Amino acid sequence: MAVDTWDGLTGHDPWEGLTGHDRHAACLVAARAGNRKALDVLVADLTPLVWHVTRSQGLDKVHAEDVVQTVWLALLRHLDRLQQPKALAAWLIVTARREAQRAKTTGFDRETPVAAEDLVDIPTQVDGPEQHALRDDRDRRLWAAFKQLTDRCQKLLTLTVLSGRAQYDAVAEALEMPRGSIGPTRGRCLTSLRELLDVEGGPQ
Amino acid sequence: MSSADGNEFDEAGVDMDNLTEQDLLLLAELDVLFDKVDPVPADLVERVQFAIALEDLDVEVARWERAEELAGVRGAGPNTVTFTVEDLTIMVSFAPAGAGYRFDGWLVPGGPHTVEVRVAGHSSTTAEADEGGRFAVDDVPKGTTQLVVHLANGTGSRPRTIVTPTLML
Repeated sequence: MAVDTWDGLTGHDPWEGLTGHDRHAACLVAARAGNRKALDVLVADLTPLVWHVTRSQGLDKVHAEDVVQTVWLALLRHLDRLQQPKALAAWLIVTARREAQRAKTTGFDRETPVAAEDLVDIPTQVDGPEQHALRDDRDRRLWAAFKQLTDRCQKLLTLTVLSGRAQYDAVAEALEMPRGSIGPTRGRCLTSLRELLDVEGGPQ
Repeated sequence: MSSADGNEFDEAGVDMDNLTEQDLLLLAELDVLFDKVDPVPADLVERVQFAIALEDLDVEVARWERAEELAGVRGAGPNTVTFTVEDLTIMVSFAPAGAGYRFDGWLVPGGPHTVEVRVAGHSSTTAEADEGGRFAVDDVPKGTTQLVVHLANGTGSRPRTIVTPTLML
């Protein structure tokens, strides 16, 4: 087992007090140096990202859980290969999408004749099962408004939020959009969301 | 590093295109909402952390080829799961035995590989496969379970280790 060099030297974790991208970069550097706790922190912080990317590819929960595990296991031997710590979120997003697609083509899609990706484009079912999870009125309205956004807007905002908001490169790569158009497009998505939320009624 | 006025974005060389306070609040609200709508399964983080707590991190991942009805592994009958990595297939049948399970497995192509069964909260059990790739492990405790296959070294080749995602037994 490798030595936790960082802990030994400084007495505290190198990611302590950091947030978002800085935190993940510090964890990745520490993980490369053999700090296992840093890996656990990354898993705890970024599993929601991997989970939602996987689910957005149309996988059910059981298969999505496998894919999430596969993605993290695959990261292990890539730890040293990521060009820069910043690339971590992008790598996780791209790998999760690829693994989800692979899971869908090896048996899973026999059970889902409709391409699962197309389902995202079907207009909102305002009282879908997820509604039950939302007891709060504000949440319900926001979710209803969000689901009326275009598929692209939904994905863009989801990835923006889950990858720590700062990582345009990750989001741009995952959506195959030019990096420069992420900002303006996201601005439009947020404006649409706000308008739709107005239509849903109630105070903002 | 990141200053109080949110310049972590600038520091990362990323222009946030003048997101307003209102935008950031709405994004934060969405963040909370996503987890309410489709929460990450409660024990998933823990299971991933168990799965990656390996001695050697230079591992190849075998993917689960799920049989149609096997979702979640329930029921009392014997079940078989199959994992594949490019040039190896791992098949394992498990049947309830005593307080846990008995594993009967088959590695294709065969060889005197070492199979390690890791169960969360227990020490791992190791079995040697025979020349035909068959192996058996008795008394596997119930719980989050992972297989680690250490491939027998061909002459001159690097040692290889294959790991599977976890099974919930």
